[in-house]
Amino acid sequence: MDFSFSEREEAFRREVREFLDVSNPHRVVAAGKDAQSDDDVESAMDRLPKLLAWNQALVEKGWVGFHWPKEVGGGGGGLIEQMILKQESGKARAPMLGLSYMGLAWVGPGIIKYGTEEQKRRFIPAILEARDHWCTGYSEPGSGSDLASLRCSAVRDGDHYVISGQKTWTSLAMWSQWMILLVRTDPGAAKHLGITCLLVPMDAAGVEVRPIKAMNGETPFAEVFFNDVRVPVENRLGAEGQGWDVTKHALANERSSIAEVTAMVNHLEDLKRLAKRCRSNGRVAIQDPLVRQRLARMETMIEAMRLTGLRFLTKQLRGHEVGAETSVNKLLRAELEVEIGRLALDIEGRYGSLVKGSPGAIDNGKWQRQALTWPSYVIGGGTPNIQKNVIAERLLGLPHDA
Amino acid sequence: MDFGFSADQEQLKAQVRRFLDSECPMDRVRQVMAAKESHDRGLWSKIAELGWPALTVPESFGGLGMRWEDLVVIAEEMGRSLFPSPFLASAVAARAIALMGSEGQKSRWLPLLASGDLIATLAILEDSDDLSAAGIGLVAESDGEHVVLSGSKMFIPHAQAAGLLLVAAREHGGISLFAVPADAAGVTVTPLRLIDQSQRAARVTLAAVVVESSDRIGEPGAVWSDLAAVLDAGTVVLAAEMVGAADAALRLAAEYAKVRKQFGHPIGRFQGVKHRLAEILVDIESSRSLVYFASWAVDHQEDPRGAVSMAKAYASQALDRAGEEGIQIHGAIGFTWECDAQLYYKRGRYCRNLAGSPEYHHERLLSVQGI
Repeated sequence: MDFSFSEREEAFRREVREFLDVSNPHRVVAAGKDAQSDDDVESAMDRLPKLLAWNQALVEKGWVGFHWPKEVGGGGGGLIEQMILKQESGKARAPMLGLSYMGLAWVGPGIIKYGTEEQKRRFIPAILEARDHWCTGYSEPGSGSDLASLRCSAVRDGDHYVISGQKTWTSLAMWSQWMILLVRTDPGAAKHLGITCLLVPMDAAGVEVRPIKAMNGETPFAEVFFNDVRVPVENRLGAEGQGWDVTKHALANERSSIAEVTAMVNHLEDLKRLAKRCRSNGRVAIQDPLVRQRLARMETMIEAMRLTGLRFLTKQLRGHEVGAETSVNKLLRAELEVEIGRLALDIEGRYGSLVKGSPGAIDNGKWQRQALTWPSYVIGGGTPNIQKNVIAERLLGLPHDA
Repeated sequence: MDFGFSADQEQLKAQVRRFLDSECPMDRVRQVMAAKESHDRGLWSKIAELGWPALTVPESFGGLGMRWEDLVVIAEEMGRSLFPSPFLASAVAARAIALMGSEGQKSRWLPLLASGDLIATLAILEDSDDLSAAGIGLVAESDGEHVVLSGSKMFIPHAQAAGLLLVAAREHGGISLFAVPADAAGVTVTPLRLIDQSQRAARVTLAAVVVESSDRIGEPGAVWSDLAAVLDAGTVVLAAEMVGAADAALRLAAEYAKVRKQFGHPIGRFQGVKHRLAEILVDIESSRSLVYFASWAVDHQEDPRGAVSMAKAYASQALDRAGEEGIQIHGAIGFTWECDAQLYYKRGRYCRNLAGSPEYHHERLLSVQGI
């Protein structure tokens, strides 16, 4: 075991810090005593040019798609440097390392592995430069946890596929130029084998997006309908029937959950500060033994997540695959996402019931938003119950569910 | 940055595993549970032959000079087998002498501890069950050459097997540590009856026990912070043992869930069972990460207390859950004496509050940060 960094890695950390001191559009927030939700600092419209400038500055450094191969325009960086970059930008509460969130998280890695040269040229630079935003067409009304049962279909017609069906819970659908879509191309094949992956422009004729309002009042996702949408065959990613493999690879891209851990460390810091300024049950909340137990328990879980992530990273550095064991951190994260909002509102006492815009609202309702938004992290990408099945079946060898 | 076992550590782990599988199956553990003896002398002489007591003793004093994190590799395997032995207690006492003792004390005791000819244990805690220095009331009175120790110690791990007791005493308003032969006049060791019969602990009474002032380890009245650091290193190996025990309890329950059929299916197919097993695995992997890191931290971090507290707190939770659920998943057979599930549960009950409960360590985690 060795938790030290090489001279070269430390030099890289310094370079990242210097860059953040100059280019991080949130640096004012980070320097403040209590970070507010982003939109308190300035309105979303004011922020956009700054965010684009941030993305551009990152691109010039080669730090968007940091770990992607240089041939496709990525940074060609190593796993440890990537970890340092994520840690430092997280600590500085900088925006994400690239604005094309889904593009960077799953679409890009899928295209790099399965895409044609033409697809790489067409899509990768636009993801890096945040010109294209992507959404993922996976879930359907009848196919959530049992994703492979999906029914949205595509039928070959000459050099086109004709898509008909529906997707749902599609995050960012309203703002995306492209969708990575899973369709059934062979209804006769076994359910995992009849699936194909298509890259669909959201402005294609016959695509209809209907936003869904979430319990937090926002519209983070949508239903997407496909009414005989025609997509050229060259928009297929991978071979026909290979869609399940493409998706599995794409979802497997980030293994060490470093970005998530850094975000939670920030939440914990904010919670400790919150507990020092709020009173509950007649005393400062930080003096309440139950609050203290919960804060310490949370810190312990976050640290466990960080360290387990480092064990996965080490495994990767030693050339091994990391697989089902990442469900361990996904489950911890799910528990933490719920507890963060719950604890914050408990610390605030009656003030915990006041949302953004209310007289007396604490931190302008930041924690209430967390308490109303956690399902997007906890349920999106596989519910905790599914993660537990994965652990039980693949790590403990228990019989398959049904 | 590298967070995994080295090839040497993997090899050590495999050797220890082979030995425990062949020499310490559960039948042997049950023999020790039923026995009146202070410890299993046969097992002790075998591990002494293999050189285990020498592993973490410095090379200049007859040891192999391995790191504390290597001991954690072994401790986890020992926990898996519920290895009934004063081995870890003695290793922690040896660490105290190695870090705090004079050259003379080290030359006198460490070679004996390394060869396994002597077993030692730390005698710190008293009736108050207070882990802080304030809990130590046993008094040392010195006339320059001799020191007279009077008072009693409680919950002393494996005291009945130990030839040497390292006794914490109040002196000059602070805490001193003394090397006291267990057969010194005035020392009485009274075995306790423990909820975990595979373990041993005793109450130790010192009635005006006279030792030489050269038996004082470290400065008079000024050893508490060093001693607390040694105790923390001990807490890490304890937590490693607990992770191993939890993992064994989980595997036992999972194997049973694969073969026990109800409603026409193995019960491991039902989510009510499989999800509980998955949750235990999450706790075990998480606490394992914390324990490995803490084992590194005790030798590399200036203040490893936070890392140690997190490891012990989470390991307690993991073993609590694995022990309790392990019984429930077995159903009625889990309640029987013959079923091994109960043994892990008892280990969990015994270890949870040993060296600090999760609640104690949660509180300490915040207080060391000044919160």
